[in-house]
Amino acid sequence: MVEQQLEEWLEEGYVASFRTACLILGNRADAEEAVQDAFLRAWRFRNSLSGVPSIRPWLYRVVVNSCYSKLRSEIPHRDRRADDGPLAHLPDPTDRGADPELRAERSEVAETVLAALQRLPVSLRVPVVLRYYADLSERDIALAIGRRQGTVKSRLHEARRRLAHDPALSALVGEAGDTLEEAGR
Amino acid sequence: MTMLDDDRLSALFAQAAAAFEVPPVGVTEIVERANAPVREQPTDDGPDDAADDSDDGGRTATGRVRRLASTARRHPVRAVAACLVLVLVAAGAVGAAVRASAPSPVLTSGLPHAPASAPTSAPTRTSTLPPKVAPQAPIGAEPNSSPATGGTPVTTPTAPPLPNGAVGQPAKIEQSGTLGLSVRRGALRATMTQLNGLATAYGGFVASSQTQSGPGAGGTPSGSVTLQVPVANFDAALKGAQALGKTSSLTTRATDVTAQYVDLQSRISALEQSRQQYLTILAKATTVGDVLAVQAQLDSIQSQIEQLQGQLQVLDSETSYSTLAVTVTEGAPPPQPVPLPESGLVRAWHDSTDGFLAGVEGAIRIAGPLLFALLLLAAAVLGGRALWRRYQRHNL
Repeated sequence: MVEQQLEEWLEEGYVASFRTACLILGNRADAEEAVQDAFLRAWRFRNSLSGVPSIRPWLYRVVVNSCYSKLRSEIPHRDRRADDGPLAHLPDPTDRGADPELRAERSEVAETVLAALQRLPVSLRVPVVLRYYADLSERDIALAIGRRQGTVKSRLHEARRRLAHDPALSALVGEAGDTLEEAGR
Repeated sequence: MTMLDDDRLSALFAQAAAAFEVPPVGVTEIVERANAPVREQPTDDGPDDAADDSDDGGRTATGRVRRLASTARRHPVRAVAACLVLVLVAAGAVGAAVRASAPSPVLTSGLPHAPASAPTSAPTRTSTLPPKVAPQAPIGAEPNSSPATGGTPVTTPTAPPLPNGAVGQPAKIEQSGTLGLSVRRGALRATMTQLNGLATAYGGFVASSQTQSGPGAGGTPSGSVTLQVPVANFDAALKGAQALGKTSSLTTRATDVTAQYVDLQSRISALEQSRQQYLTILAKATTVGDVLAVQAQLDSIQSQIEQLQGQLQVLDSETSYSTLAVTVTEGAPPPQPVPLPESGLVRAWHDSTDGFLAGVEGAIRIAGPLLFALLLLAAAVLGGRALWRRYQRHNL
């Protein structure tokens, strides 16, 4: 019964988890590995789910920890390679049906946002992605990253402040605010 | 931030995330991989991926060491602190073990007379031996048979025993000893009586006895008694005396006077031979002058013989009876209460200073254990924190 429920939860959260990892890691391949690794671990430790009050922060916690592992162990070495930039897999090839101009604009926005995120330290990047992409509450973020809720609140505040002062992101928002709203929908 | 509000930020993130293609690998494939044997799973994690190390029981010790080293590299300050704590705890444990295995000190505060008397008296007394006399023999039997209790300073002869018959006759040994006894308050008189009875019981006698009932120069009642007991009963008498109180000091001495004894005997024998010769000459004397001259020599020789025989008797007595001098002291009286000053202000000042000093002493006294407890606490906190983080990472 637990296995079936967990498999359903993993199916539902796979895309969101993968893209959360993409925003945290800034690299599609790393995000794919991290999510696969996280889901493997989640499946192996499915017996511990009985004591978990909420599955969603639990799942994000597994993903975040896998991302931490990637950031600690592999990415610092791999980033030295010049041909493996963080946005190597942009834009989305499945979006071929869209207008080329809109595709280019979306790609520019994505690159700017990802670059701004990469300029944030990991301790700020993870909470802000979980809050504004995964739409977790501050309490769930605290559970996911293993910190207190007050810590999460202060990190979110600092992350927003830094993003607001990011020149590229500010310019993007100022120039294409309306388009962004449309694209966000 | 006026333009980058929460909604705008969410929209930006959503657009950036949507730019990533979702991989074709589905959850079903991941589950199939997870259900496969653990050994067949590819391990993509790095050596220092501390988040993954509880799910695989087959990790090697080398991998753990590498992860530990990696963790130490990431947190050098904590690693150094943990090492210091470990070293301190190990040093404390080793020190405690060494202290526990070390022998207890011989000199204790309960025996205040011991340190000054025991070490200094031994060489002085052994130096009183005549140069030609053999080294001191033990008292009666082996040196290890001393009845001294643990922690009591004891001066015992350490020279090898002189074998009987080495100079043609049994060894002549003078034995003596001094014993300091501490008895409870009010037991001085009874102890002195028991010591007197002890001399009689072992076939000896009391050579001298002195009792000071009131507080003397030392502030406590005391008494001393000198026992003369046969040499054969010296050890038994010493044990009996020690049983009457707490031994505060003990000194025993043995002097070999065999050479002196033999020398006296030889001289007496020679003088007796001379006297016999003079008697022969006296019998042959025909004139009064000769008789008077020979008689004068005989008187001189007889006087020498009697003098030497007296010395011989003294040696006989000294080697037949041993001397045991026992000093008995009652326990120290309770400290007399110091009369407080009549002035309340002065009394309060003294109380205040006493309290302050007591507080300082207490603080110093507990500083050591407290520091050790803090070290242990720090180690426990660090270890617990590490374990808690490990638990959180692996039991998500």
